[in-house]
Amino acid sequence: MTRQKNDILQGTLVLLVLKTLADGRRMHGYAITAHIQRVSADLLRVEEGSLYPALHRMAQDGWLRAEWGMTEKNRQARFYTITKAGKRQLALEEESWARLCSGVQRVLRYV
Amino acid sequence: MSIWTRIKDFGPWSRAQKERDLEREIQNHLDLEAEESGPYGAQRAFGNAMLVKEEVRAAWGWPRLEQLARDVRYGLRQVRRNPAFSAIAIATLALGIGVNTAMFSAVDAVLIRPLPYVDADRLVMIWDEMSHIGFPKHNSTPAEWREWRRHNTVFTDIAATETGNVTLSGDGEPEQLPGRKVTANLWTVLGAQPLLGRVFTEEEDTQGVQVAVISYGLWQRRFGASPDVLGRTINLNDSPYEVIGVMPREFYFMPARDIDIWMPTSFSAERLKHFSWHDEHIVARLKPGVTLQQARESMAALSLRVTAHVKPPRAAVVTPLRDELAGKTQTSLIVLLCASAAILLISCVNLANLLLSRGAARRREVAVRAALGAGRGRLITQFLVESLVLAGLGAIAGLALAIPVMRFLETLVPETMAAVRLTLDWRVLAFSAAIAVAAGLTFGLAPALGGSRLALQEGLRDGGRGSSGARSHWFQHSLIVTETALAVVLLTSGVLLLQTFHHLQRLDLGIRGEKLLTFVTPLFRYRDFHQRVAFVNAELERIRAIPGVIRAGAISKIPLTGIAGTTRYVFAGQPANDTRTQDALSRVVTRDYFSTVGARLREGRFFDISDQLSQSPVAIVNESLADRNFPGRSPLGARLQFGHLGAEGYWYTIVGVVKEIRDRGVAEELKPAVYRVHDQADQSGDQPSGIVVRTAVEPASIVAAVRQAIWSVDENMPVTHIQTVDDIVARQLSAPLQNTTLLSAFALLALLLASLGLYGVLSYAVTQRTNEIGVRMALGATSNDILLAFGRRGLALTLAGLAIGVLLALVAARLMTTLFYGFRPDYSPAVTVVSLVLLAVAALACLVPARRASRIDPMIALQHE
Repeated sequence: MTRQKNDILQGTLVLLVLKTLADGRRMHGYAITAHIQRVSADLLRVEEGSLYPALHRMAQDGWLRAEWGMTEKNRQARFYTITKAGKRQLALEEESWARLCSGVQRVLRYV
Repeated sequence: MSIWTRIKDFGPWSRAQKERDLEREIQNHLDLEAEESGPYGAQRAFGNAMLVKEEVRAAWGWPRLEQLARDVRYGLRQVRRNPAFSAIAIATLALGIGVNTAMFSAVDAVLIRPLPYVDADRLVMIWDEMSHIGFPKHNSTPAEWREWRRHNTVFTDIAATETGNVTLSGDGEPEQLPGRKVTANLWTVLGAQPLLGRVFTEEEDTQGVQVAVISYGLWQRRFGASPDVLGRTINLNDSPYEVIGVMPREFYFMPARDIDIWMPTSFSAERLKHFSWHDEHIVARLKPGVTLQQARESMAALSLRVTAHVKPPRAAVVTPLRDELAGKTQTSLIVLLCASAAILLISCVNLANLLLSRGAARRREVAVRAALGAGRGRLITQFLVESLVLAGLGAIAGLALAIPVMRFLETLVPETMAAVRLTLDWRVLAFSAAIAVAAGLTFGLAPALGGSRLALQEGLRDGGRGSSGARSHWFQHSLIVTETALAVVLLTSGVLLLQTFHHLQRLDLGIRGEKLLTFVTPLFRYRDFHQRVAFVNAELERIRAIPGVIRAGAISKIPLTGIAGTTRYVFAGQPANDTRTQDALSRVVTRDYFSTVGARLREGRFFDISDQLSQSPVAIVNESLADRNFPGRSPLGARLQFGHLGAEGYWYTIVGVVKEIRDRGVAEELKPAVYRVHDQADQSGDQPSGIVVRTAVEPASIVAAVRQAIWSVDENMPVTHIQTVDDIVARQLSAPLQNTTLLSAFALLALLLASLGLYGVLSYAVTQRTNEIGVRMALGATSNDILLAFGRRGLALTLAGLAIGVLLALVAARLMTTLFYGFRPDYSPAVTVVSLVLLAVAALACLVPARRASRIDPMIALQHE
């Protein structure tokens, strides 16, 4: 099976999920995947195999809150919202992402 | 996340809930995705749902604990699945752990648990070094106590105690009580407080005020636990004493746990001046920061200085109080603990071997797990958990086994310490759990490493038979050698103790023990010599009149019970300062004492009716004294004088040499002894208060009549320490008997386990090498060749174990020296016997599998998968 290399860089999934929920939205796992895929214009695709472990770990670390609810189509789903601790974590993650990017940039620009 | 949430999340309830949530969540996701890309697309996009769930579970945290629980369940299932194997393993472990648990509880009670004194490990005892007369640790004297107390720099204080058995009379029957005279500072040295009232002061002690502190037991028994006892006057040896205090129940101090009365020593000026009354047990507390070694050096020097004018000057010996309290029991406990540890080790070795063999059988199962993704670490953990499950079950069974052994061990606790009831308290349980874990890891590690390695090497290869390689053979073989060696050490030690015990049992006591009744009538009220003679003669006369009594006599110390009681003497013409040859046990007897106890003469005569006070004084000596002072000559006719009486002292003429009587105790060293007849001993302080009665009937049947006989002469005379010589011997042999019994039992257990181990390994080797045997036989090997090949292997292992074990046993025997009671057991028969027994058992253990190997049908063997 060949697949285009669009796996999410290790460690950035947390950042993406936190950012997706950052403005207080309440989303289930599938919606989070879909959101990231759509917003990134299909450049990023979240593996379910990584998403659910990440969601559970984040819930356990207290960054997300999970609760059962109904979708617009009246389906049952587990919804995640960001917590205060999650917002603090998001700030940290954004900062370290920026550092990583600028570091990589410098290396790439170096002749 | 807080620990609390983790714990809350971890419970099985929340776990199940989480599992349901996860299941629904994944299903919902699939449903949502299916709406867009259809069911198959959804499945494909999602990937392996099982794997996703597995990873989510990993994210839930504490998966190790979860894993552990699963491994434990799996281990328990393994136990159920192989009932025969499990039964053997658990039984073996139960023996090992049970025996060790019981031994530990005894060691804990005697050697580890704090003594009932403040900072008990700072307490020491001080003795006189008097090896020149055969006492490397002799009781000290009041004079030395005073000098040491004044001049020492290493102790906060030093207290002295001496025997003070008394007769309590007044309301109720007269009663002989075990008592001690103690200096007033004993309580502060020990850090002990009375339960009621107070203890006496230094002034009361030095001024001779008659006050007494009584034990909790006596207070309960004799005074109905009434607080009014304080201030009451009681009669001790016919003198009034005021009761001023009651000690708490748990208080005890040397030399026995059942002391009932403590009185002031009130040393006379004379006793404090001369360095010759060796009655004192000295106890001292080390100053903070002073080590035992420093105290030893300092006291040895100080003592030589203060006794510089004594010939010869004495050094002092300092020993930890705990060692004195535990005494010989310390050695026997340590030896038995080592023995039980050896048993546990053998059990572990056996199990390791069994598991190694079984590990090979489980290779397929392990390979499947490895193929399904279990890493080596996981496999090792799981193997170890299985071993621990076995060890845990073994420990539980072992506890049940430990309790009866503990009942037996309780009787080993020495007289000098508080009696204990050994129980499975938390210390013992913790120990038991610890050794179970240690055992589980010990016997589980090698099989776990081996098993996991095999799995990865040979994997699923069809018919995975083969041998487990030279390395594992080597390992299994060294395990066999180890356990054989341990068994040899235990067996040899056991045989040495058996020899010792046999020797002690057959020991010539110098008297005939059967139907010989003994008891004590304290003579403190007969201070006048003539009254005393009259009373002793009268009581003996009445006793002889009792039907069933053949003879009766009296002596100052009941035979076999007087470890000390020596006197100084000088032979006519001998200079007065040669202490090496001028110290002997001194006994005062009535004329018919020797014939009553059945003593035998080497030469000369016993005392007779002509030996009256008015006649010339005579003495009888024992063989030790004759051999020491008159080597190769007869001592008959030689004259000697006792004590420090100078011109006043009688000169006694030796008229007889009696064959050695074990006056000091069955297992005690013999010492030179001098016997004098009571009628001529008005200058001696020794009083013939010990009565011996030879009976024709069962001694117990005349005890009541004896009491009546004595009370008909003096109605206030207590009759105490009633026992037969057979009782005394049995009691003195009970410790060696118990040691011997336990160690022999341990040794047999070790032999059994070791032979089982040998059998197991060889039969496994036969199974494993069936193919090879088939090939050999097909190539022309006879069944005898095969038998020899396997037999030789077993024999080689046994011999190697035997050789190592014999060497180790030499070391063990040195550790056990004090348990030989001065006897030098012969090493070579012990080794011979052990070798023969071991070889016989090993031959049997080898023969069965070797024969099986030799009878293998090559056709079947070659097809054997």
